[in-house]
Amino acid sequence: MPLVAAYLVPGSPLPYLRRDVAPWAPLVAAHAKAAQTLAAAAPEVLLVYSTQWIAVLDQLWQTRPRSHGLHVDENWYEFGDLPFDIRIDTAVAAACIAGSAACGVRAKGVDYDGFPIDTGTIVANGFLNSDSRASLVIAANNVYHDWRKTEQLAALAASSAEQLGRRYAVIGIGGLSGTIFREDIALERDHIARTEDDELNRRLLDRLAWASADEIRTFGADYAAKARADMGMKHLAWILGALGERYHGATTLGYGPTYGSGAAVVEFKV
Amino acid sequence: MAQGKIIAGFLAPHPPHLVYGENPPQNEPRSRGGWEQLRWAYERARVSLERLKPDVLLVHSPHWVTQLGHHFLGVPRLSGKSVDPIFPNLFRYNFALDIDVELAEACCTEARARGLVAKMMRNPNFRVDYGTITTLHMIRPQWDIPVVGISANNSPYYLNMEQGLEEMAILGAATRAAIEKTGRRAVLLASNTLCHWHFHEEPEIPEDMSREHPENYAGYLWDMRIIELLRQGKTKEVFHLLPQFIQEAFAEVKSGAFTWMFAAMGYPEIPGELHGYGTVIGTGNAVMEWDLTRAAA
Repeated sequence: MPLVAAYLVPGSPLPYLRRDVAPWAPLVAAHAKAAQTLAAAAPEVLLVYSTQWIAVLDQLWQTRPRSHGLHVDENWYEFGDLPFDIRIDTAVAAACIAGSAACGVRAKGVDYDGFPIDTGTIVANGFLNSDSRASLVIAANNVYHDWRKTEQLAALAASSAEQLGRRYAVIGIGGLSGTIFREDIALERDHIARTEDDELNRRLLDRLAWASADEIRTFGADYAAKARADMGMKHLAWILGALGERYHGATTLGYGPTYGSGAAVVEFKV
Repeated sequence: MAQGKIIAGFLAPHPPHLVYGENPPQNEPRSRGGWEQLRWAYERARVSLERLKPDVLLVHSPHWVTQLGHHFLGVPRLSGKSVDPIFPNLFRYNFALDIDVELAEACCTEARARGLVAKMMRNPNFRVDYGTITTLHMIRPQWDIPVVGISANNSPYYLNMEQGLEEMAILGAATRAAIEKTGRRAVLLASNTLCHWHFHEEPEIPEDMSREHPENYAGYLWDMRIIELLRQGKTKEVFHLLPQFIQEAFAEVKSGAFTWMFAAMGYPEIPGELHGYGTVIGTGNAVMEWDLTRAAA
């Protein structure tokens, strides 16, 4: 069974950089749980899609064997720097590039010193794969791709990993409801900005536990519009696409606010 | 200290292709040229800037996106390599720039005084976005004039467009007050493309100009209409049309720099000087100048 784990994680740097802030503690604890189960599953490669790596031309895949350095988030720079050290499974990435045409998109590898790997990927890797034990395959979020295209690309990544005999995990990185506070707040009082968003987020997380993949797709479209979800929840599409017919429910490990927007750590049954 | 003033404003778009086409030593990739009309337009703008001799350049970039308020670069000197996340094959630029921190702080203070959320960016490891760097390089490749870098809060996207652009007008008024109080002779740079419909695939040779043209005819017509009005100094009419232009041409001016600049300048009804127009992956880009010293003479 090469697919060994799958997670949805927020990618916000807030709980990563400020673990002392009480409203973010459930997310910190949930990431710790996810890191434990991921380590136990022992994947060789993580198939990563982050809403924060934006592309507008072609489908981009990271192909630089190792990227390391110091990243500063453009919003939350005041809370500190984000050191990172990321290895890429270049063989799987190359297979994804070669296979992208079958998904109807042109693809390119990204292999440049100093390329700004996005905050979401760095945070997720730092929480879940801090020792860089697993290598990554990282796909960009082309803003013109819809759920269907995103699912196709995820399926491509999964099949590429399988064909190369990898044990792999799938990571969709992005938030839930998108309404944020637009003024300074006391961090200790952070909460989901709108009550309706909180209800919608909880309904989505509840459905992830028991609904079928098709029901989630239907609900997800409505949810994304009503909750102003992060990039239309395409990070969830990435997970559904990689899991394909193997969707068997999920467990929410943690849920909470990130400056008003919704965030959750969800572990999928594989 | 004499009262400061805004001496000019430029519409100064930031396609990294222009830096790539020029082949400056700071940029790693090499090209065989391309986008000459726009690069020549910037050459004309550089001559104007040399004549204006400003103390400081203020640039508002849509590619430093901040969720919580309007941010200002607040470290005296920033350096590093800026790689464009969209076009890393074209733009990997080693930058070093000096910030006019005193003016940036004054802008921040004035913005807060007008009810805006505003912050100073104090992290010395911060990597400056490619929009800011491209605009600054194209207008002044010598990098010998201090700058104030301003983020895009993207309120016109998050709020409704009218509310968001109103906020940018307030930011413009705050910028003007800060410039006047600190005694600077300032040039404003609105780092915005006009029509933003673009191709979805890049040519094998990015600088192959046989592949370059407006992506969208309706968008091209919109650009010509707006430019013609700006050339005639019909600023009120431009701002009356702006929401429709943004909607129909997917114009990047929605991100607010254009409104910020004109609000800071007091929406002058003076003819803008078109230095040139050209497309980049199908988007419409104009380099234009409003010389307030000449208008006052």
